[in-house]
Amino acid sequence: MSAITKTIDARGLACPQPVLIATDEMDAIGCGRIEVLTDCGASPENVGRAAKAKGWRLVSSSEDKGTVRLVLEKE
Amino acid sequence: MRLPFGWGDKAPRSTQKPVAGAGHDKGVMAFAHTAEVIRAEAALRGGGLEVRVMGPPPEMRTGCDMVVEFELMREPQARRLLAQANLAPVAVAPVRAGMLEPVSLFQTKDFGPWLMVRAANMKLTVDKASRVIVNISGGGCPDVPALAELLVGQTLDAAPAPLSRGQTLCAYALELAFREAQRQLPERPRGRP
Repeated sequence: MSAITKTIDARGLACPQPVLIATDEMDAIGCGRIEVLTDCGASPENVGRAAKAKGWRLVSSSEDKGTVRLVLEKE
Repeated sequence: MRLPFGWGDKAPRSTQKPVAGAGHDKGVMAFAHTAEVIRAEAALRGGGLEVRVMGPPPEMRTGCDMVVEFELMREPQARRLLAQANLAPVAVAPVRAGMLEPVSLFQTKDFGPWLMVRAANMKLTVDKASRVIVNISGGGCPDVPALAELLVGQTLDAAPAPLSRGQTLCAYALELAFREAQRQLPERPRGRP
């Protein structure tokens, strides 16, 4: 398992901003492993969908005290 | 003053007198249910009328949060088309002085490289340069996830019209947002920046 290339802390941001920031990062680095932290209810599903549309995959999703941690990967 | 269709029972009469020449070219129709607004818009457009779905002026709120704006001079044609579709508005009135204008259903927010268009309860966000749909959110209807799956990652030209794939009010709101995004971000002719 490769290391996290970048952590995006999108906590406190309303949808669609977590998606937009994650999208921007995916475009910027091209491939790798990104961690996204969000506390916006709709964002996990939307971030996962945006990642899939860009050829990335959602590796894991976990929730702790209202914060969802998503790990996205593209090799 | 006798209104073209007359007000419906639920809509109060305006206490303001109309001003000659002010805003008499447009009228608005209210319907009992949003589903009827959708059918009315389709029937009127199908008959060649230019109509817009808008938020109702405060005086005309009848329970449905959308009205159809039309050209008042086309009233007889609109009446025929609606009758053919078995539709009857609960209230119809000219947009005149003293009545607040119908309000746009759309809200747009500029996020720099992205534009978000909101129509009613649905939000659609597009990359302005590529015109690719990057996010769809809102709703709560069962077909929203499937619609989002279909549209996200597609350009505004390649994506299917939401109402061609969904049947709910969310699909309709998304359709309106989709059309508005297409209007605000028209395709540029090739070879031009």
